[in-house]
Amino acid sequence: MKKLLVSVSVLVTVALMIWGYYQAMYAAPMEATMGDVQRIFYYHVPNAMLAFLFFAISFLASLVYLATRRSNAPVAQAADAWALAGAEVGVIFCTVVLTTGPLWGRPVWGIWWTWDARLTTTLVLWLIYVSYLLLRKFAAGPQMQTLAAVLAVFGALDVPIVYMANRWWRTQHPAPVFGGGDDSGIKDPHMLAAFGWNVLSWAVWGLLILVFRVYVERRQQKIENARAAAALAAE
Amino acid sequence: MRIGAAVVIVLGVIGYLAFTAQASNKSYFVTIPEMAGMGDKAYSANLRLDGFVKPDTIQQAGTHVNFVLTQFESHNPKATGDALNVKVVYDGTEPPPDTFKGDAQALAIGTYGRDGVFHATQLQAKCASKYAPAAPGAAPAGSAAPASDKRASAAPAPAPEQVNNTTTAGQ
Repeated sequence: MKKLLVSVSVLVTVALMIWGYYQAMYAAPMEATMGDVQRIFYYHVPNAMLAFLFFAISFLASLVYLATRRSNAPVAQAADAWALAGAEVGVIFCTVVLTTGPLWGRPVWGIWWTWDARLTTTLVLWLIYVSYLLLRKFAAGPQMQTLAAVLAVFGALDVPIVYMANRWWRTQHPAPVFGGGDDSGIKDPHMLAAFGWNVLSWAVWGLLILVFRVYVERRQQKIENARAAAALAAE
Repeated sequence: MRIGAAVVIVLGVIGYLAFTAQASNKSYFVTIPEMAGMGDKAYSANLRLDGFVKPDTIQQAGTHVNFVLTQFESHNPKATGDALNVKVVYDGTEPPPDTFKGDAQALAIGTYGRDGVFHATQLQAKCASKYAPAAPGAAPAGSAAPASDKRASAAPAPAPEQVNNTTTAGQ
């Protein structure tokens, strides 16, 4: 039953992603001023939105961990697994954003990178969560989990700054596509559809990886607990 | 408790940033009227100047480009004779991007000379976040001739006297 459920979710996810790719590359019309390179939009923006979502998952799980670490150990351990998985998937999405951005900026702006507020705060966000993952890699135990949770909480504070950066400050990065004023927006229904399908397919993909990753991490925790118990019994 | 105090401090910093956003707003680039209002400081600073490329003013020869940066797009009702213009001379290592053309919003990075000419060493285009489908048969910048063709024709930069009137692809 579990195997069937996993197979069906993987198949649905792959089908959605193929459909999203078709929508972005073929179904959506070519853009008037930028040409085909504008199709990067169908990946860049959904990935940015989902990076925010998965960092938010990590943030909430870290808060739960911090609140329950002394009072309710089983809940705290589960929250820790969700926090780790959320940060990992968020870093993947954020990496895609930081890769597709320069690929788009080079032909359209003439530069790969610039230190404007949007780009810089996004890079800082990525660095915070990469250091979160490094911390988890190089240390172990409840002390590491607490430190990691605090780091995830502080990292999440950068998310609203990234989001507001091109609203608060003048940036190279354009204004938000949705709700960005007169010089922003999409009216073409095929473009909107391609965008929506890619948000959906990448969200489903990210949630699938998240659930797998939490499952693996929970197994890992069980193994470590069993090892610790065995070591205590041997003494 | 300690975490709570730290969160309050960080949130305070974010709030302060938001509160002072209006003042620090001008950091990434200056507009033409702002540069005009800078007085003598305009000549000494390395500036990133923002404006719209005045249509039909681009004179390009490889990586040497002369053009006029103006305050408003040509279809803006404010684009009258009173609009501020700045002549820009660009000498860089690469030709400007394909999106650099008449009415494009662009940033010129360099120094403002006392001759009234802005000497740029880098050009960056800005892009709108408004997307519309291309008209059938039209060739937007990104789909024009492959980049290798453009580089090949741009590589042996001719002397400034030989400046021709070629504009960028897609016009």
